[in-house]
Amino acid sequence: MHVHPALTPLLSHPAIWRGGDCACEPASVPTGFAELDAALPGGGWPRGALTELALEREGIGELRLTLPALARLQAESRYVVFVAPPYRPYAPALAAAGLDLRRLVVVGGVARDDALWAFEQALRAPECGAAFAWTPAHDERVLRRLQVAAREGGTWGILWRRPGQHASAAGAPLRLRLAPEQGRLAVRVVKRRGAEIARPILLDLARAPGAPLYPLLDARPLPPHAPGASSPRRTRFLHRKAS
Amino acid sequence: MRFACLLLPSLALDVFARARAADDARPFVVSSGGHHPRVVAANDTARDAGIRRDQLISAALALAPDVALRERDVAAEEAALADIATLLLAFTPNVSLAPPCAVLAEVERSARLFGGLPQLLAQLTRAVRDVGYDVDVTLAPTPTAALLLARGGGEPQAAGATHLAQALAPLPLAALDLDADTFATLHAAGIATFGDVHALPRDGVARRFGAHVVDMLDRALGRIPDPRAPYRPPPRFTRKLALPAPADSSEALGFAVQRLVDDLARWLLVRGLGVLRLSLSLTHERYLRERGVEPTRAAFALAAPSREPAHLATLLRERLARVALPAPVESIVIATEETAPLAARNLGLLPGGDAERARVPLLERLRARLGDDAVGTLVAHDDHRPERAGREVAMTTIAHAESPPAASGPPRPVWLLDAPRALRDALEAKPWVLRDGPERIESGWWDGGDCRRDYFVAENPDGEIVWIYRDHRYGTDDGEWFMHGLFA
Repeated sequence: MHVHPALTPLLSHPAIWRGGDCACEPASVPTGFAELDAALPGGGWPRGALTELALEREGIGELRLTLPALARLQAESRYVVFVAPPYRPYAPALAAAGLDLRRLVVVGGVARDDALWAFEQALRAPECGAAFAWTPAHDERVLRRLQVAAREGGTWGILWRRPGQHASAAGAPLRLRLAPEQGRLAVRVVKRRGAEIARPILLDLARAPGAPLYPLLDARPLPPHAPGASSPRRTRFLHRKAS
Repeated sequence: MRFACLLLPSLALDVFARARAADDARPFVVSSGGHHPRVVAANDTARDAGIRRDQLISAALALAPDVALRERDVAAEEAALADIATLLLAFTPNVSLAPPCAVLAEVERSARLFGGLPQLLAQLTRAVRDVGYDVDVTLAPTPTAALLLARGGGEPQAAGATHLAQALAPLPLAALDLDADTFATLHAAGIATFGDVHALPRDGVARRFGAHVVDMLDRALGRIPDPRAPYRPPPRFTRKLALPAPADSSEALGFAVQRLVDDLARWLLVRGLGVLRLSLSLTHERYLRERGVEPTRAAFALAAPSREPAHLATLLRERLARVALPAPVESIVIATEETAPLAARNLGLLPGGDAERARVPLLERLRARLGDDAVGTLVAHDDHRPERAGREVAMTTIAHAESPPAASGPPRPVWLLDAPRALRDALEAKPWVLRDGPERIESGWWDGGDCRRDYFVAENPDGEIVWIYRDHRYGTDDGEWFMHGLFA
């Protein structure tokens, strides 16, 4: 936005708040994606706050979105805790993304209340840098507790909403919605401490720095996804019974 | 030198009563064994009800039907003496046991550190009372004199060596270390006090009763050396705490566990150690023991050596909360399985720094409540088969880190399905896009996990990127399709 030079010193006065600004986050960890950093208050994932990530689909690069930040937090010799993950975290892929497996703790096979307890403990612990939970938590009191715990421990907490789970109305100060869009990951900022962003941020995870987990064989643009479009790499599978 | 004798007048009672809170005033009696058990010790409430020492237990039960009974536990009393000696090692290096119910400590040389002898004695007394034992303290220039004064109920602080004979003179004969025959003979001869024995001709007493009687007098008066074997804490800590009444829930054990942990922490402090592995054993009531019900056992491992009582107590309480008790618990045994040296640290000058260090590490809290199986970490394993290349292991078993796979390999998904899911009809409905592959993985014919698959990275109609494979195990080229992972 163009601003008249005479207005600049006036606008930098601390008492003036402009609609496009984001609130000052006390601390954040860079996401590893410049476009996303620009959209998040503080320029990265918030340390000491709960983030809610709602998924429209699973397997769209949602975890790869967080891996650069996790590697960065582990480099500060802090733990990363996964509470009740929906699938088995696959060690070779995580190690290849730069995660230190010795600093990754997986809590699984426990009841929902125990999972929430473990999540809260992890959020409250200063030695834990990030805690992810895939446990449904909708009770507002529970969410508030988790938020307070994250603030006390300075831990980045993500509450994952799997497809079909309803997101909560309040709770986390940062809420994002993830969906696939033409082979890329579309991040919609549902709520942040700042102005609304209408358009989704499109991230190409295949070429993301630090996360070469899923390299495309060729650098060609992805085939158009419109129905009927043909492409040499597009194959219609016909299922045949083994004879 | 000045010796303090700490006499524990109600040790037989205290070894049980300390396992419950101080405000618990139910009548409680310790009995002797045998066919006609008698009262050995009774607490205040029981004495108010008219129960006296040496009464038959049947009489005591008639006086107070709700009285809690426990048989005397001599082993526990010995252990309690050792505990108190361990506690005293924090005040002076020279401590010795005087069974059955006293501990001796040389106090003069460390008095200056505590601001004088009266302050030291006051701290000592308070420390012993805090761990749940009633105690009387006497002070004398020789250990034997201190012990005799404590037993005889004499002046608590005998003056210097010059007046020692006067201070000891009124002690009754029963307070002296005499065998039954000597005692009976002297008593029949009208000898009633220490002073009377001392006034008898020395050579006559030595001839008649043996040299040990004269030696005892000389040791008490400081005329001959009075060496005592110094107490050294044992290399391994094992302590049993019997409960005054059976506890049927793990919450009821909390207070007793706190007592044991405090004892353990003091032992660790004087040995300069921190505990790494602890075991806890809960013994059930006798009628169940005789029917073959095993004690409930619980083990606990710590990530780093520790001796903070608050830390250990929190962990044990969390661990106990998960233990299912098949029957009421009669006693708790705590033992150290593994310890490691732990350097002493300086206390902070300003308050606040210690609270941070006393916090229980996250992993231990999680493991204590959820169990070792629920809290794991990942290990990359050098195997081509995906289901074996990554394993989840319990946090405790990591001994070494295996080398991680190279960063630039074929694509691997972040989520792996526990079992491959057959795709069947899902493929027919809409077109899928193959984005990478095939990658042939063929391995494991030698260990029964035979696998021959062509893996592809595919995008399904919903835009999800998944890892699928075609199973060629049976040698055909048109095997079934399975989904094995998600590129989350």
